[in-house]
Amino acid sequence: MATVGFQALHKRYGDTHVLKGIEAQVEDGEYVVLVGPSGCGKSTLLRCVAGLEEISEGQLTIGDRVVNSLAPAERDVAMVFQSYALYPHMTVAENMGFALRVAGRPREEIQARVAEVARMLELEPLLERLPAQMSGGQRQRVAMGRAIVRQPAVFLFDEPLSNLDASLRTHMRVELKRLHQRLGATILHVTHDQVEALTLADRILVLNQGIVQQFGSPRELYDTPANTFVATFIGSPSMNMLRGLPGEEAIVGVRPHDVVLGSGEISATVDVVESLGAEALVHLQLTDGTPMVAQVPEPASVKPGDAVNLAFAKVHRFDPSTERRL
Amino acid sequence: MRGVGALLFAWLLPAAAQAEELTVWHAYSGAEEDALQEAARTWSEANGVTVRPVFTPFGAFDSKIETAVPRGNGPDVFIAAHGNLGNWRQMGIVEEVEVDLAAHCEVCGEAVSADGKSWGYPLAYKSLLLLYDPGVVDRPPETTDELIAQAHALTGGDRYGLAFQIAEPYYYVPWLHAFGGSILDDDVSSPAHAQALAFAYRLGVGEGIMPAQPTGELVGQLYEDGNAAFVISGPWFIPDRKRAIAAAPLPVVSETGQPAKPYLTVEAAFVADQAKEPEHARAFAAWLAGPEGAEIRQRVGKQAVSAVEVTSDDPLLAVMREQAERSVLYPTDPAAGSATEAQARALRRVLRGAATPEGAAAEAQAYREVFQRPPPPSVSPTPYLATMVLVLLGGLAWAVAPLREEALRKQIWEERFSYLWVAPAAVALLAVVVAPFVTGAAVSLFAHQGGEWSFVGMRHFLDILLARDWPVSSPMSFFYTLAVTVLWTVTNVLAHVGLGVALALVLREPWIRMRPLFRAALILPWAIPNYITALIFKGLFHVQYGAVNALLGALVGGTVHIDWFGSFALAFCANLTTNTWLGFPFMMVVALGALQSIPRDLEEAAMVDGAGWWFRFRHVVWPLLAPALLPAVLLGSVWTFNMFNVVYLVSGGEPDGSTEILISEAYRWAFDRENRYGYAAAYAVLIFGVLLIWSRSANRLAGKRVL
Ligand SMILES: Nc1ncnc2c1ncn2[C@@H]1O[C@H](COP(=O)(O)OP(=O)(O)OP(=O)(O)O)[C@@H](O)[C@H]1O
Ligand SMILES: [Mg+2]
Repeated sequence: MATVGFQALHKRYGDTHVLKGIEAQVEDGEYVVLVGPSGCGKSTLLRCVAGLEEISEGQLTIGDRVVNSLAPAERDVAMVFQSYALYPHMTVAENMGFALRVAGRPREEIQARVAEVARMLELEPLLERLPAQMSGGQRQRVAMGRAIVRQPAVFLFDEPLSNLDASLRTHMRVELKRLHQRLGATILHVTHDQVEALTLADRILVLNQGIVQQFGSPRELYDTPANTFVATFIGSPSMNMLRGLPGEEAIVGVRPHDVVLGSGEISATVDVVESLGAEALVHLQLTDGTPMVAQVPEPASVKPGDAVNLAFAKVHRFDPSTERRL
Repeated sequence: MRGVGALLFAWLLPAAAQAEELTVWHAYSGAEEDALQEAARTWSEANGVTVRPVFTPFGAFDSKIETAVPRGNGPDVFIAAHGNLGNWRQMGIVEEVEVDLAAHCEVCGEAVSADGKSWGYPLAYKSLLLLYDPGVVDRPPETTDELIAQAHALTGGDRYGLAFQIAEPYYYVPWLHAFGGSILDDDVSSPAHAQALAFAYRLGVGEGIMPAQPTGELVGQLYEDGNAAFVISGPWFIPDRKRAIAAAPLPVVSETGQPAKPYLTVEAAFVADQAKEPEHARAFAAWLAGPEGAEIRQRVGKQAVSAVEVTSDDPLLAVMREQAERSVLYPTDPAAGSATEAQARALRRVLRGAATPEGAAAEAQAYREVFQRPPPPSVSPTPYLATMVLVLLGGLAWAVAPLREEALRKQIWEERFSYLWVAPAAVALLAVVVAPFVTGAAVSLFAHQGGEWSFVGMRHFLDILLARDWPVSSPMSFFYTLAVTVLWTVTNVLAHVGLGVALALVLREPWIRMRPLFRAALILPWAIPNYITALIFKGLFHVQYGAVNALLGALVGGTVHIDWFGSFALAFCANLTTNTWLGFPFMMVVALGALQSIPRDLEEAAMVDGAGWWFRFRHVVWPLLAPALLPAVLLGSVWTFNMFNVVYLVSGGEPDGSTEILISEAYRWAFDRENRYGYAAAYAVLIFGVLLIWSRSANRLAGKRVL
């Protein structure tokens, strides 16, 4: 088990500046989820930790060691690739035991460890299969198993659940949570899925264009987003951003469920009403044409074309020039 | 191989000249060609019949004549050395002619005569001479002792007193003759032979006046650079030299008091048996040999003409005439070929220091006896014919039996047009694959010796497989050569795959800049004709002037004198290096393609799992690469098994035929040892058998049909 520290870490590919001074300290045993738009550098960050990419500038520490120039093998990390990267010519058991075989462990030990992890991941009946003979979810679990068998200090998961269907994903999410609780390992997990991020993470690291936007607990990110980017990125549906409200210099952010229909001095027209079952999304247009969304309990009391008045239960205010929270 | 090429050439040649035009094939170049052109013009103008000289390269001349003339595609007249006259008479290629022998030098007349008849018009003669640099040699030596003494005085640093191709029999026989021996002696282990070999060793190695293992190009280069004072070569060495050069007759061998007598070759104009205008052909040839033609040839072509009437004050021609009187007519006996091979081996062994002159001469005698043994007794072909007829009938019955079924007959009839469509391909296959194969296999049942064919059945196979002529451990035995061939194939394929895969692994690395450039450069060896590469490598491995030894010398900081063709292991290495150079690009290209289909993240996963590069390669990359490489490996193994060019051109089987592979050994039986086509064909059939077995087992190995 170990901490992972990034100190002013930069990564460049030639002229492309991908990571621009990452500063973060992941605590021992912490489950950290990395989120951010596509191409913002999440995979690159994980690959830097794994040692698959050279660090251009700054420092990376695992535990109390600076690992910048250590080979992947010496870092004691395990990575689950987005593509799983299972060895196609090896059986499940061989895949899972690979790292131990590299380490030259005795055959009995390898078998015992593989069997134990296979039991944990319900892979026991599949041990003699080849990757090509399994479903996506099964391969997914093998990839996990291959990492777990090693008992590394740090786990790196790069969008490990992205190829799964919704129900399997939910199931695996729970599995991951359980795994983390059981192993108590440090985990860095990249995802595009909000729910995954919010449910799994002890802390979420929001990355945009190679810069850390905010690093905090899901609650913190949700309740006090550090800037407009985090505010709109976290939470679904996203926060309404209103500029130029009467008597308001700042950008005003309102989460859809903080919008109260019926009273208040802001007037709007109802555009569309979407029902989500227990709740409904009401798409509105303010008098100056700005669109916004309100989330109200069903049955919704309005219908398209209605003129309504709005009030905000809670607002977030952001500096219009820096877009930082005020 | 030579035969096939010649055959092809003969087919491609346009039909022979039209009427009132004489086609004359020759291998002249430079001034000699100019002379022939001028003579042809002169005669054409006077006689109203156009003479068209056609140049045909020297190397392929005889075999082209031998394939083209019998098919009526040849010339009316051809100009060639007399050496093959015996064969040509046997084959009926040349016409008998009437020549006034008194008008020509005596040996010249002898050269074109046989059975009391004349078979060609003598034109000119050539032989080896002692050539020297008049800038450093005041007076050419009369005796070998003088020659050696002068050469010693002129040797030093990069300079050598004497340079000539001493390991070639043609350059060795002058000494042999001076010692009283002859290539055609029945006993080539006699003291005369041993003494001649000892003398050759002394001249080439012992005295230290000659460069190591001189080749023709090397001798020319040394002379041009002023690094060889004396050269033994023919008049062909002289044209286009930038350095002054003078000639003298070969010296008298001091040990015996006898002059060194080189072979004399007489060039003659032969009238082809198929000539369309034999009258004109004879008239032109006679005129060309006569005083008028000789005058033109001597004046323009600087030829040593045979016509005694034509004299010259050119000192070179005087020397050539003098030398002609101290020479031996080049033998036309077909047995000379294998006799020469046996003694050439002995000569190379002696020069290499691998045998004493006496020992080598005794070995030469042993080889000679096997080479010249009469063909096995012919047997009755009846049992073979009967078996063949039975097999054919059986096969036919087996093929036809299903036709009794009505349905099949109907189906075939319905598909009749489909059969028509495949017919052209089937006919082509029959003509270019099946027919040559059956012919080759049939030839293996015959013995061919001295121009005679006789049916000997399975005798060749028995001789070969029971190792009747040589012990299994002799390089001449089939099994020894088979073992070498297998070793050759295995080591080559390993080297090709190793190097090819290693380079492919490097080329695919992301940090490689200018990848297309490297890739193109590395494929280049593949694109160069392999015989050119082989010849270049042969030069690179030269003991004294080769780049390989120079490089090794630079590495160890001294001169390295490794005789790359002096031992089996080294010669094998030289061949292997050459063929690896030729073979790795193919494997590299295949490996690059195969590597592209292996996702990079597999290796990254292994890297994170702690595997070093070797473990990653061994357990992740290789298992995925190997199946894709297998077909290429199996194909490569077949190509290598039959890689004639490299073995023939680089080591040439040296030392003592030990690096020969089956295909090159078959070639030697067909073309270097009195055209034993039957014996060679038996080798070819055995090669086919070995490869057949290999391809079957390879399919099993691969678990699918790849060969
Ligand atoms: N080898 C490379 N050479 C040059 N640029 C690269 C290289 N690898 C990645 N990049 C660039 O770095 C940026 C970050 O890539 P990265 O793969 O880390 O994004 P990501 O956040 O993981 O995106 P996604 O969510 O789509 O996986 C991208 O703009 C990408 O184009
Ligand atoms: Mg990514």
